[in-house]
Amino acid sequence: MFRIIKKSLKIGVVTGQYSRANTPTIPIVPEVKEKVALFKRSLAIREVDTGSCNACEMEMNALMNPIYDAERFGIHIAASPRHADALVVTGPVTVNMERALKDAHKQTPDPKLVIALGDCAINCGMFKGSYAVTGPVERHIPVDIRIPGCPPCPADILEALSELRTGRP
Amino acid sequence: MTEERPCDDVLNIAFPAIRQNTPVCAKSSHFVVPKDLLPAITHYLHTQPNFRGRLTLLWACDHRPVRTTYGLYYLFTLEGSHHWVVLSTEMTGTDRLFPSITPHIHAAQWYEREIRDMFGLIPQGHPDLRRLVRHEHWPKGTHPLRKDFSWDCRLGRQQGEHHFRHIEGEGVFEVPVGPIHAGIIEPGHFRFSVAGEPIMQLELRHFWKHRGIEKLFEQQTLIDAVPLAERVSGDTTVGHGLAYCQAVETLLHLEVPRRARYLRTLFLELERLHNHLGDIGAICNDTAYSLAHAHCGRMKERIMQLNDRLTGSRFLRGMIRVGGVTRDIENRRLVDIVDELSQLQPDFSEVGAIIFANASLTDRLETTGILHEHTAWDHAVMGVVGRASGRDCDLRRDRPFAAYDELPMNVALYRYGDVRARLRVRGDEIHESIRLIRELRDKIPDGPIAHEPGDLPSPGDWTLSAVEGWRGEILYMVMAGEGGRIHRCKVRDPSFVNWPAIQWAVPGNIIPDFPLINKSFNLSYAGNDL
Repeated sequence: MFRIIKKSLKIGVVTGQYSRANTPTIPIVPEVKEKVALFKRSLAIREVDTGSCNACEMEMNALMNPIYDAERFGIHIAASPRHADALVVTGPVTVNMERALKDAHKQTPDPKLVIALGDCAINCGMFKGSYAVTGPVERHIPVDIRIPGCPPCPADILEALSELRTGRP
Repeated sequence: MTEERPCDDVLNIAFPAIRQNTPVCAKSSHFVVPKDLLPAITHYLHTQPNFRGRLTLLWACDHRPVRTTYGLYYLFTLEGSHHWVVLSTEMTGTDRLFPSITPHIHAAQWYEREIRDMFGLIPQGHPDLRRLVRHEHWPKGTHPLRKDFSWDCRLGRQQGEHHFRHIEGEGVFEVPVGPIHAGIIEPGHFRFSVAGEPIMQLELRHFWKHRGIEKLFEQQTLIDAVPLAERVSGDTTVGHGLAYCQAVETLLHLEVPRRARYLRTLFLELERLHNHLGDIGAICNDTAYSLAHAHCGRMKERIMQLNDRLTGSRFLRGMIRVGGVTRDIENRRLVDIVDELSQLQPDFSEVGAIIFANASLTDRLETTGILHEHTAWDHAVMGVVGRASGRDCDLRRDRPFAAYDELPMNVALYRYGDVRARLRVRGDEIHESIRLIRELRDKIPDGPIAHEPGDLPSPGDWTLSAVEGWRGEILYMVMAGEGGRIHRCKVRDPSFVNWPAIQWAVPGNIIPDFPLINKSFNLSYAGNDL
């Protein structure tokens, strides 16, 4: 117990110790802002991986660590699409995942946001044209926001999500 | 060499019908074998006490348009000498059948199913011929790695159902999980058969993320395909990039400068560090011990920010190239890295002490998800999982690459094979990595960081390369095609071998322990599905 207290005192607060995002902020169209306003400044996210190389997942996981601590902005990861306000989709949509993605989208209650995270989700990246890839996310479900990068760094993701949170119509 | 020659002679004497070929890379032998003899020879290699060959890789190759044949290649690693033995055979004409070796060697099971899916070659006598990569909705007769299958064709859909193995009886029920899971993880389907609490059987269904990587490689040139290799499995960027580059360098007879080899080692160890730190936190998190998770997440982030400052990429992307590395790290920066790691080490030791002082955590970890040594051997399990089950193998020591021949290292080894052992292996490897980086800083020579590739290899040349990534042994087989293009590239992430083994670690445990066991294996779905 003393060890833990000592450790906590020694480390102190680490939240926010990261270099700020350097990519320009992502423009958000008014219709999306209207939708966001409904969520009252909190966002429950369901992450769906449809064929990424798992770097985007690692960065999404990093968002929840004490340095970025996305929870403090009211951003939560929901365990089920039925509890989610937004779907974050990573990776090009593979032939095998196509149906699962559509199902997850259908199960997310309206109004919902779809965020395409990473280059693969936006334009299939390196896997463009492959027989096993059926296209970018927007070919299957409507996408509201795109966060580019391969993978986008957590600061970028946080920036984009905070932008949403503060978004007012 | 004294150990290696007898192996060739013994095989030649035992099987006079086989023909010896020139080896494809250092420390290997190559034999051309008649197809019918395959089960006998592989069984012999696998069971002979002085060989104890571990099936390391099995792949097929479509030789068209040069020859109208399919080639089958079996790679064995001999347990004592770590010598590679490649057996190859060719199938001509309309012949599509080959004898399955799965009845003798468990480890061949997924490889043979994969070959059947990708090439349409049928392993005769295989106990389980369900589809593996091509899910049931793929149309009949689509075999993507055949040369007459276009890489960018659009697949149709057909009706089909996957048949899981069922256990029937009173009180037995099935729990399907996935492909989309509750956390931020990749897609895969697990089906548990449970009787009350304990799991009786687990069946995996993977390959949801199949992106056709091996086919995409065939559209690229040898030099340009490095970024694709780096994206096979994002968390193993350096491991895959390095394994690919080493294969191409062997094909091009390209010597890598010594400084570049040291820097490659540095990147590989940094990658190992941040992944192991993340894993330890994640294992603790799955026992609801979020204090350790928070601390490990913080330390992992520290390494990733260090990577970012060092190379401009948190995942060390774009650092490895054919012939060397793309960017030099000044010696002054190396000192900074070591300083940073020297601060991290006591920090991590403190967290480790807190973790292992926690009785309820230890209670969850001990005797959970035991993978016995003989099961690990049967399935040719390697890497962290293998070392936690008493399999003393580490390519950094056994077949040194990069600068590991000049940096002797200790291999963490535990025998219990439970979740705690896997946690301990990771903890020990973190300390070992930091020690290696320190030693590397002292020994690193000055000099160029890359050599330019020269002549192109002649079509049909092929070679193998292996790298000990943070998960385990990453293997690449690269065969050159016309004009510096890739004819065939077989990628093998350690996950492909370790996934089937998880099915044997789970029975007897309860479902709430499965996430813990799965996390302690922490296998890549992307690297497995390709």
